[in-house]
Amino acid sequence: MTVNQMKLLIGGVQLRDGVSTVADLVGRILTRAGLHVLGVERNFASTIYGAHQYDPLVVSARPLVSWGDRAIDVLAGLEYDSNPDAPQQPNRDTIRQHAGDLVDGGVLLYDSSGGPVETGALQARGVQVFAIPARDIALRELKKEVVKNLIMTGALFRLLEFDQDERWLRRFLEERFGRKGAAVVDLNLEAARRGRALVERILEDRRQSSVGYRIEAVRDAAPAVYVSGNEALSIGAIEAGVRFYAGYPITPASGILEYMETYLPGYGGRVLQGANERESIRAALGASVAGVLSMVGTSGPGLSLKVEEIGVSGTTETPLVIVDAMRAGPSTGMPTKAEQGDLTLVTGGGHGEIPRIVLAPSTIDECYTLMRDAVRLSDRYQCPVFFLTDLNLSEGRMTVPESVFRPGRASIARHVAAEHDVRGERYLRYRLTDSGISPRLIPGQRGGISKISSTEHDEFGFVTTDPAMRVAQMDKRMRKLHTYLREDAKAPQVYGEVGRGLTLVGWGGTKLALLDARERLRRDGIEAAVVHFTHLWPFPTHLAKPLLDTGGPVVVCEHNYFGQFADLIQAHCLVPTRRVLKYNGRTLYPSEVVRAVREVTHNGAVAVRLGGKDPVMVEVSIDA
Amino acid sequence: MPEAVQATKAIWDQNAAPRHRIQWCPGCGDYAVLNAVKAAVTSLELTPAELLLVAGIGCSGQIRNYLNGNAFYGTHGGALAYALGAKMANPELTVLVMAGDGDTLAIGIENFVHACRRDPDITLVLMNNGVYGLTKGQDSPSAGLGQPDWKPSEEHPPFIDPVEVALTCGATFIAQGFSGDPKHAAQLIVEGVRHRGFAVINDFSPCVTYNKVNTYDWFRAHVETVPASHDPSSKAAAWDLVRDFQRRGKLPTGIVYRAARAKGDGAKRLPTWPDELARADVEPLVKRLR
Repeated sequence: MTVNQMKLLIGGVQLRDGVSTVADLVGRILTRAGLHVLGVERNFASTIYGAHQYDPLVVSARPLVSWGDRAIDVLAGLEYDSNPDAPQQPNRDTIRQHAGDLVDGGVLLYDSSGGPVETGALQARGVQVFAIPARDIALRELKKEVVKNLIMTGALFRLLEFDQDERWLRRFLEERFGRKGAAVVDLNLEAARRGRALVERILEDRRQSSVGYRIEAVRDAAPAVYVSGNEALSIGAIEAGVRFYAGYPITPASGILEYMETYLPGYGGRVLQGANERESIRAALGASVAGVLSMVGTSGPGLSLKVEEIGVSGTTETPLVIVDAMRAGPSTGMPTKAEQGDLTLVTGGGHGEIPRIVLAPSTIDECYTLMRDAVRLSDRYQCPVFFLTDLNLSEGRMTVPESVFRPGRASIARHVAAEHDVRGERYLRYRLTDSGISPRLIPGQRGGISKISSTEHDEFGFVTTDPAMRVAQMDKRMRKLHTYLREDAKAPQVYGEVGRGLTLVGWGGTKLALLDARERLRRDGIEAAVVHFTHLWPFPTHLAKPLLDTGGPVVVCEHNYFGQFADLIQAHCLVPTRRVLKYNGRTLYPSEVVRAVREVTHNGAVAVRLGGKDPVMVEVSIDA
Repeated sequence: MPEAVQATKAIWDQNAAPRHRIQWCPGCGDYAVLNAVKAAVTSLELTPAELLLVAGIGCSGQIRNYLNGNAFYGTHGGALAYALGAKMANPELTVLVMAGDGDTLAIGIENFVHACRRDPDITLVLMNNGVYGLTKGQDSPSAGLGQPDWKPSEEHPPFIDPVEVALTCGATFIAQGFSGDPKHAAQLIVEGVRHRGFAVINDFSPCVTYNKVNTYDWFRAHVETVPASHDPSSKAAAWDLVRDFQRRGKLPTGIVYRAARAKGDGAKRLPTWPDELARADVEPLVKRLR
């Protein structure tokens, strides 16, 4: 019997079958029941209706367990039609695409309303198949097609022996549908009971009481929420004091725009859906000029359009937080697949040179905690601060203990000058200072005026091409980077002991896979430490080099072709790196990392490319 | 000019580039715009601290440094969008956008169109000279005015009339002025700033170096004051006026259209200072995720 440790996969036809509805319901209810759920491998299509969609969910009693590999324990197919005349239609894709990943002895639950599916081969290797006509029952007996989702949920819960007394589901439905009346709640509960009963009957026929997997509510678990990265970072931004948000619809950043539109006005803020990517960032800069903590969110294609304004933020010294929820590029790329291909763009994008800061949370809880730093640093250093998430972090969900959120905290302390700060000396917006940070009076305050200029300027803000002043202003702006490195840069997170073996290096959303890989390597007798960066730029050489320059192999794992972060490490630490690269739009699996490490340590690979037709492609070079 | 007014007007010469540093050609229409703006902000009794000048790129954008007051200067075509954000953030600021026809009608037309739709309480002084002066005289989207022989092609399309665009897209105050009459232009700016909504003032400001067609003399021969009988509150009348002047080959100067603002004026300054931000408790947001 496997208890409280399994990977589920829920699949179906996008929009029609309610895949995200069921996945989020399961995630929320299990989170309430004290379990940890990780649902970051969201797979949906860049169309609205009809494509195959699936949501893998890892359930565990422990926090921060990785998403594991492809292998799944329980598969639930919500689509109902088997259409032999049109096999290319995605109506049985859950089974077709994922049943092969079921472990021997795993469980397949599917809606057989359109007829049974041939599962002999699966059953031959011990997969337990449960075919229930959920849609038929919903239509014929309950007269409402949509409750088929609850029939499937009830069946799933029975298979997992969870919520036998309906306690969790009832409470959830009452909260969600209570407004619509008791009848709606009862109908949904009845649907779940039907699903339960169907599974019960099959089990009785098979003289079985269990499928070998069980989810048990954890007693006295600390309260937690099932939250997406976009929600978490939005809450972090609101709490830190962001009161102006602008965006333009783009996957996977639209969730931030929607969240902010719903909740920011309640905190006195305003949200602008720009007529285009440029209007949104320009308006956000304007709001920042007027003194409000300001943020934009976008993804790669939108960021490319915003690049000109990044230079404006840098040279006018106007604070701005820029969320880049990365998706697979280049150009339109794969809009609904994650990648880490924008690092070079955010560290260097744009003509000319500006100070900028790049942060990247590695988990959904860090989307909340690190956002506070992003807002604070933008305000303190008066420069663009990039906040790099990716599709999985942004749209994915994870159980986060409520204690991570610290309601009641004050906003960040503002770094703006008041009238009395500039009294006595002439206020100069671009005063040359040792820290590089100049006093900033907000337009409207008394005490001076600001000539804020993207053209090179003197201390007052007037246009200049005077060589000495140009150098002085450039150096002043760049001194902010030194101040940041000295006072605010955070060292990478270290798991294990560096110097005893190889070092796995990551940034952003790969962390859980790296930690999982590290455990697996240790079990195989390979000592590895994980060094994971959240402060990426300006590159914190003084903090990173001592961790990486230890003589052991440095294996940098990232989701892009070139190894953009590995390039930064090599350039700044003068340490050779080996690269594990995956850019096929799917998450990094721990088993792939383990295998790649073998290629590095045994075969001398300098780069391992994952996820193509061949699972591993190795590049060997003599100059590494 | 009474002494007191002159004294207040002198405020606007402080924190400004000295007159001999002004980099406009002798005779440039922009000098008159500068005088008009100074006269307008003086008669509005504004202080430099509460003014935010957002400038476009081009000769016109230099104006931001030729008078006192906060200023923001960003990218080509972006002025209206920066101004939108600034005004949304702090409605207490007087936001004046000074941009040319290239900036507003070519690279920034997207922002012009949507600013008309959004109708923020900002004033645009469109310093319209028909050319890209700063880059030495290329055609702008308003090139072709006064040239009946202009043969439209893909390369040289007919000119855009910002008054028509503004009327179509929803601006609630539309006026037209001319640098040959800065007193009148100043009145228009005053009216524009007082208007609660997006005020578009198309101010013809001749380029004496590169535009050999739309000269002061040409404008003097073609401008004609909007008749006193015109009802600017009527959009239909505004269109009739525009068409009537077009038919007669004339340019109306004065207020073409002025509508009462449709939406409320209740916009508040967004929370900015620590005491305003302190009341934000995100607990309800966390609760909703349960």
